[in-house]
Amino acid sequence: MRFTFTPAQDAFRAEVRGFLRSEMEAGTFSPRCGDLFQTGSREFSRKMAERGWIGMTWPREHGGQGRPYVDKAILMEELFRVQAPIGYHFLADRQVGPALIHFGSKQQKEFFLPRIVRADEGVSFCLLFSEPNAGSDLAGVATTALRDGDEYIVNGQKVWTSRAHVADFGWLLARTDPDPSANRYRSVSEFIVDMKSPGITVRPIVNMAGESNFNEVFFEDVRVPAASLVGEENAGFKQIMAQMDYERAGLERLMQNYPLFEQLKQHVRDMDPSETPETLRAWARDQVAQLEIEYSVGRLLCYYTAWTIDQGKTPTAQAAMCKAFCTRYEQKVNDVASQILGPVCQIRRGDPWSPLRGDLAESLLWGPSYTLQGGSVEVLKNIVALRGLGLPRK
Amino acid sequence: MDFGLDEQTSIVKDTARRFFREQCPPSRVREILATEEGYSKDIWRKMAGLGWLGLLNNEAYGGAGGAFLEMFVLVEEMGRALLPSPFFTSAVLSSWLIEEAAGQPRKETLLPRMIRGETILTAALLDHQGRDDFEDPALDAHQADSSRYELTGTRLLVPFAHVAEGILLCAKLQGREGHGPTLFLLDPATEGLEMVPLNTLTKEKTFALRLDRVGIDADRIVGDIGKGGIYMDRIRPGATVFKCAEMLGGMERVVEMTVAYVKERHQFGRPLGALQAVHHACADMATCLETARLIATQAAWLLSQGLPADKETATAKAWCNEAYKNCTAIGHQLHGAIGFTEEHDMHLYSQHAKASEMAFGASWFHRSRVADQLGI
Repeated sequence: MRFTFTPAQDAFRAEVRGFLRSEMEAGTFSPRCGDLFQTGSREFSRKMAERGWIGMTWPREHGGQGRPYVDKAILMEELFRVQAPIGYHFLADRQVGPALIHFGSKQQKEFFLPRIVRADEGVSFCLLFSEPNAGSDLAGVATTALRDGDEYIVNGQKVWTSRAHVADFGWLLARTDPDPSANRYRSVSEFIVDMKSPGITVRPIVNMAGESNFNEVFFEDVRVPAASLVGEENAGFKQIMAQMDYERAGLERLMQNYPLFEQLKQHVRDMDPSETPETLRAWARDQVAQLEIEYSVGRLLCYYTAWTIDQGKTPTAQAAMCKAFCTRYEQKVNDVASQILGPVCQIRRGDPWSPLRGDLAESLLWGPSYTLQGGSVEVLKNIVALRGLGLPRK
Repeated sequence: MDFGLDEQTSIVKDTARRFFREQCPPSRVREILATEEGYSKDIWRKMAGLGWLGLLNNEAYGGAGGAFLEMFVLVEEMGRALLPSPFFTSAVLSSWLIEEAAGQPRKETLLPRMIRGETILTAALLDHQGRDDFEDPALDAHQADSSRYELTGTRLLVPFAHVAEGILLCAKLQGREGHGPTLFLLDPATEGLEMVPLNTLTKEKTFALRLDRVGIDADRIVGDIGKGGIYMDRIRPGATVFKCAEMLGGMERVVEMTVAYVKERHQFGRPLGALQAVHHACADMATCLETARLIATQAAWLLSQGLPADKETATAKAWCNEAYKNCTAIGHQLHGAIGFTEEHDMHLYSQHAKASEMAFGASWFHRSRVADQLGI
C-alpha cells in the first residue's frame, strides 16, 4: 500500500508542469474554462509527442511507452489543471489507440498508431456514436453499413459529434446486420471513416454556450473500404463497451472547470470582511471546504481506477462510478461559485465586469453537458448497479 | 500509488472477519447489549489472546509496536459486526493515551494487564454539553492540599465506566505546581462520584458522571500538568481515522444487506432490484462505500507512515459521516417497513451511523478544518 507517488512520478509531474509553465509564458495558451476537448493545435500536440506524452500507456511495439495508467493520470491531471490545448490528439490518444491495439488489424495498427503518437498531420479523430434516436442506448443505432464487395456502403445520421468539422477520421458505429430480428447487441460494427469521403455532410449545431463545437453528420451512400472495419463484424457493441471504460475513467471528468475552482478558493480567501456579510463568509467557507473534500474524493477515485487498470483488471463499474461522481462535483462547483459571486456570475468572458476571468459564466453554460457526455449519470448508475452489484435487469 | 493491502494486514482482516462472524453474529449482539456488563468477557479474553488489545502499544508492554493499519482493518471488522465492547474506549483511546502521556511506572502497571485483557480503562472526553473539551475543559481541578485535588463538573457519554478500573479525564487544573488542561486517571469507586447510566440510541453501555468536589490524589495525574490537550492531540487524528474504519465496516454490511434484500424481495411481479429507481439508489450506496474506503484508507496510511495528514483526516471523517448516513438512509428506504422493526438489523446500523458521526467531530467541524488547511 502506498498513497504517495514515487520520486520518479513526482519528477515526471514537475517536468510536465515545467513544460506547461513555459508554454503559458510563451503565450501558447492560457488556462480558461470552456470546452476542454475542442481547444487544440497540432503544433501543441507535436510538442507533447516529442516528449513521449502521446500513447504513453500503449505497449512499446505499438509506438507507445508502455507506462502505467497512473503515470498517464499524472500527465492528464497537470494538463487539465491549466486546460492545456490537447484537442488535436486527445480522443485518438484516449480511446482510438487503445481500441486499435485491442481490436485493430495489423494494417490499421501500422498506419494509425505511429502517426497518432507523433501527432502527424491528418490523424485527428471524432467519435461517430450518438444518433437522433440512439443516445444512451447505443445499441439502437440506425445508421447502416452494408457490405458491397470490397466496400461497405454507409447511410444514416449521427449527432452531437464533437470535432466532426475539423477531424480527419471518424470512428463510426453502424449497423451491419439490418435484419430487425437480429440481436441488437450483435449486429453493429466499428469502422474508421475518412471524413473527406464523398457523401459525408457535416452541419454544425450551435450549443447553449453559443459555440459550434458539435455537429450533425450525414452519410449518403458513403463508400468505406472493407479494410476499415475494426475488429469483427457485428462485434461492435462489445468492443465499444470496453472502450468506454477508458473514456469514463479519466480525470477530464473531474477537472473540466478546474481553473474556476482554483479561482473560487482564492476569491473566498480574499473576501473582505468589511464588505462581505458574515453569513456569506461562513457559508462560503463551509461550501468550498465541501467542494475540496469532494474533489479529493474524486481525484482518489480517478487514480484508483487508473491503478486498477494497471493491475490488469477491467474497471467497468468503477469507471462508471468515477464519472458519475466526478461530473456531479463539477456541477456543484458551478453552483457554489455562482452563489458566492452573485448576480455578476452571468457576465461573460471579455466584459470588464466578468468575474473570475470569465470562467464562471462559461462554466455555467457548459455545466449541463458535464453529466451527459460519455454516458449520462443515469446510465452510469445503471452500470454500477447491474455490472458492479449484480442487480437484475428484470 | 498502490491501493492494495499488504499481506500482514490482509491476514488480520481475514482473521477478524472470521472471528466476528463466529463469535458475534447479530443475535449475539442483541444478547450482549442486554447484559449488565454490556460486553462479552469471553470474546474480550479471546481478543486479548489474539493480541488485538495491544496493537498500538509498545512491544515492551506486550503490544504489537504500533500496528496502525492492522488496527484500522480490525476496527473495520468490529464495525461490520457491531461488536458491543469497550474496545474503542479502552484498547484504542485509553491505552494509547497512557502510552503517550504516562510515566514508566504507570505504563508498567497498567499496559501489560490491559493488553492481556485483565483490565479495562475508559476515556471521558465530553463535557456537560457533549462537547469534546480537552483544550479547555469544563471540569475543574481545584487544589485541596499539597497532594490532593478536587474535581467538579460533568462528563457525558462515558462508555463502559461501570466496568472500568480507571477513567481518563481532562480537567482544568489550577494549582501551585502549574495550571492548564491536565489528564487524570480517576477510580470509578471514588467517593462522591455519581455515575448515571444513559439510555441512548445504540443501547451501548454509557454513563453520565457527576463530580462535585470529588477528591483525587496528585499521583493520579497522568503525564505533565497542563499537557492534557497535547496528549489528546497526539492521538486524535488516529482515533478519528479508526472511527472512520468502524464506520466503513458498518457501511459495507448495510450495502450488502440492502443489495441482497432488493434481489430477493419481489413486488409488482419482479425483484425490487430490477426497478431503475432502486438501481440508482444502490449505485449511490456503492459509491458512498467505495469513496469512503479510499479516503479513509488514505488518511490511515499517511498516519501509519508518520506523514502529515491533517487535511486528509478531516476529509475522511467529514466524508465517512455523510457516506454512512446516506447508506443507512437508503438502506432503510429500500428495506421498507421490515427495516423499521426491532427484529431486523438495519436499525443497529443506522444508530451506529449516528453515534459514530457524532464521535470525533460532525461534518461541519471537519469541513472547518479543511477550510483552515485551504487558508480560508
